[in-house]
Formats: sequence, structure tokens, C-alpha cells
Amino acid sequence: MSYTNSLNVLLIDDEPDRIKALKEALHKLGHHVICHLPDTSELNQHVAETHPDIVIIDMDSPDRDTLESMATMSQNNPRPIVFFAEQQNDQRTMVDAINAGVSAYIADGLQADRVKAIMATAVAHFEAHASLREELEKTKTQLSDRKIIEKAKGMLMSHQGCDENQAYQTLRKLAMDRGQKLPDVATSVVEVLNLTNGLKRQ
Amino acid sequence: MPRLPSIEKKTLKLGFMPLLDCAPLIVAREKGFFKQYGLNVILQKESSWASILDKVSYGLYDGAHMLAPMPLAATLGLNGKTTPMVTALTLSQNGTAITLSQELYFGLSERVDDWSDLNQIGESFKALLHELNYKPIIATVYPYSNHHYLLRYWLQQLKIDTLEDIQLVAVPPSKMLDNLSNGVIDGYCVGEPWNSLALIQQSGGLLTTGHQIWGSHMEKVLGVTQAWAKAYPHTHKALIKAVYSACQWSEDPENHDELLNLLSLPPYLDKAAEALKGFTSPYSMEQHYAGGDLNHPDRQQGIFLLEQMEACQQIEDPSKLDYEQVSEQVFRKDLFQRWCG
Repeated sequence: MSYTNSLNVLLIDDEPDRIKALKEALHKLGHHVICHLPDTSELNQHVAETHPDIVIIDMDSPDRDTLESMATMSQNNPRPIVFFAEQQNDQRTMVDAINAGVSAYIADGLQADRVKAIMATAVAHFEAHASLREELEKTKTQLSDRKIIEKAKGMLMSHQGCDENQAYQTLRKLAMDRGQKLPDVATSVVEVLNLTNGLKRQ
Repeated sequence: MPRLPSIEKKTLKLGFMPLLDCAPLIVAREKGFFKQYGLNVILQKESSWASILDKVSYGLYDGAHMLAPMPLAATLGLNGKTTPMVTALTLSQNGTAITLSQELYFGLSERVDDWSDLNQIGESFKALLHELNYKPIIATVYPYSNHHYLLRYWLQQLKIDTLEDIQLVAVPPSKMLDNLSNGVIDGYCVGEPWNSLALIQQSGGLLTTGHQIWGSHMEKVLGVTQAWAKAYPHTHKALIKAVYSACQWSEDPENHDELLNLLSLPPYLDKAAEALKGFTSPYSMEQHYAGGDLNHPDRQQGIFLLEQMEACQQIEDPSKLDYEQVSEQVFRKDLFQRWCG
């Protein structure tokens, strides 16, 4: 791939394995990849300095709103970031990306097909990572850990009226928010929901 | 039990941000209001407003807890994708404040003797910055938010320049407090519980509230796409009636403790609400969920928000827009009155 096709890609993700694999894949496509993980407290400055053509960010990252804000302050930014969907009407591509947990911001005037290729790579890696993580979770977790996670999942499913995957996502999100391990979060979920159910019965 | 035989869609997914004013949605689920109106609702916690807007726009969610300016911004396509949206219910009023780091707050305390005098606070703030010869970093969360407009409005009134005198940055609510404690930022304008939590942790002092700056104003709404509202009118009605009941329940002072217990459940605000138990803020944010015409998404309020967007240069060519028409299309007070009036 020629030099002119090389884009500056900024990756914002706090999953080390996923970000590493995606970085390698994008390098192979000839892009220059800047990783940014996991502490994004200086994102404002970072984006201003690295002038990314495209930012790929985990859908669940709270830093998405920071990027949205920066996009509106773009008059002062040399490379304004605009939301990806503006460039095309590809509903399916966007829904797939959202489901995989990928969101993207691009510099003004970037061709849609170049962005699409990068998005497709990111979506593929996010999907592969999700199934790999599920496998790992199954083999790695100790029996007792797995039991408490299963129990917490079951309680969340009946409390929230959600499915197994959503219950698992809730646990993962809690673990990220609290900076705790999954079994620890599961234990406290079981405790709190036990208490609540007890109160409801009284 | 009210009979609503014609509900088109019984199982709904709604997104929310873990802030105090998502309370009516939590209450509607936990206290059985959704069920009462024939709905089974799954509530999904989100980490960013951007994500909420995407998921509603692309139909992954049926609706969501939204900042009042969001359905307007989406309808006008201000952030890229144009998705006509509507709201038939205001979820909450006020609840925003500006908090300063402990250091700047102490500096200011030495100069201010009347904290109800906005002008005095502003003048003292400017004088302090001048004396320190310092350009503080002030954070807001999202461009299409009252927080952003309130802060800009307040700064402008005090003739504090957002480029010359301070540095405006964006930081997610969940990271505001840590950044304030660590000195990465010097202040922020954000919704509850993040101002109260700064007081509890003694990381900052409260400078002024959104209510002091603007008077009473709508804060969060229940937003859906226009296409969704057209496709599922009876579901929409059941949803609005259920959440409106929950707004009234949430506003009742007798339910205050139970409300905090519900919000403290792990799938919702978790520890961020738990920390508020037993805390009485010395400042009233005037955060309300019901009463008077609070729950009507009114055209005038929509026009006011569009004017704030214009003031913040978010609308490219204001002369091409009919604010009254846009506001009337998005803020469906008529639906609220037909269903809940």
C-alpha cells in the first residue's frame, strides 16, 4: 500500500489483547496506528496533538462524549472529527458496528470506502475477541468463581427481565466501573439482590 | 388494572445514563408501573450520551433517558446523522451545578460573602483568576446538554471568555470527580449526583446551580424516534403513562429513602447512589420529577434550547430554521396532554 493511502488511526480501548490484535491488522493494511489506553484523562490534548484521520473507540467507552464535544469545538481544531454516519447511508454497517461494540470518528473529507475498510477490520476483531473471551472465561474461571457468576447472572436475569448475554454484560460493566474482578462483583450482586428480594417479600 | 388491549409491542429496551434523574425509569420498572401498563421493559445502562443516541437512532433501543436538547439535536442532525425524534414526557427539572476544585473554591470563599449574589460570585471569580494569573480548566460532559449551555451562558454573563480566560474541555461524568481530585481539571458543570459527591468527598466546592442561573428548566426527557412513535402509538402511550406515574412516585418526599435504595442497586447507579445515603446537601439543586406543568415538554422550552444551541454556534445557519416549527415537532406536549392530562 502506498504512502498516500496510509491513515493515522487512533485506537481507544481498554482491552489490551483486542487493541494489540487490531493494531497489527491495521498496520498490515498500511495504516499508522496510535494506541491510547487505558487512561484517557488527557484525551483532549492527545487528539489535538496526534491529528488522527480516524478514531476507533469502544462503544462502551465513556470517552465517546469527549470526542463528540471535541467535534463541536472543531473550528479551532486543525483536523475536525465528525461522526462516521454522516458520510453514508449504510444502516446495516452501522448496526453491525454497534452490535460488535465499535464506534468511529473521522476527519472531514475522508472517503467513505477507506473508512469502511478500517471499520470492517475493527468489527471483525471485536467480534472475534468476544467469542475468544467467552471461551477463555469458560476454561479459566475456577469452579466456585463460575458458580457465583452463574448465580449472579441468574438473579440479574430475573430481576432485570433480560437475557443471559445482557446479564453478563451488566456484570462486566459493573466490574469495569468499580475496578473489581468479575467474581467479586458477582458476589456483591448476589448479596444486594438477595437483600432486595428479602425486603420485597416482607 | 387499566385495559390497553392494543399495545403493538410489549417488550421494550430503554437506555439510561447512571445519573440521579434516570430515577423515573428505574422506579417504573422496580415499582411495577411498566407492568401495570402491560409493558415488559429491559433497562440498559450506558456509558455515553453518544451511545444512547446511536442506539435509539439505529433502532437498537426503543427509547431512552435523554438530555432535553438531544432530541432537538438529532432532529436537526447537528452531530452528523439526522434522525427525527420526539419526546412526550419531561422526566426531570434542574439538578445541575458548577463545582470548583477545593483550592479555587477556598480562594473564592475569601472574597465572596453573599453566595446568593451571582454577580458577586462571578466578579470575585474573575478577580481571583486575574490575581493567580491562571487559566483554569473547566469541564462539561456533552455538547448538546444544559450543562454545556448553562456554563457558557454563565461565563458570558460574567464576561469571562471561554478561550482567553479559561480552557473548556470535555470529560465523562464518571471521570469528573477523579480528575477534579487529581488536579487534571479545576471545575466542572455536571448533573447530580456528581456535585454532591464532590462535596461528600471534599474534593470541591459548589459555585452555583443551574437553577440559580436559569431558574426552573427542563433537564431530562424520554426520547424516541419519530418513526417509532408513528409505528407504535399505543405502546408509546402506555410507556408515557407508566413513566409519568413513576415521576409522581419519585417526587413524593415519603419515597425518598426507598428511591435511593432502588438507585443503589448494582444494575443502576450502584455505589454512586449508595454514597448519598444520609447526606443532606447544604445547597438545593431544585431537582424535581413532577409537579405543576413540569412533565409537559413545552414548545417555549424547546425554542429556548434552540437559542442556546445558536448562542454556542452549534447551528450552522439559524436563519434557515423555524425554531417554533422544530420545537413543536419534537416537544409533543399535545401527546402528553392527550394521554396524561
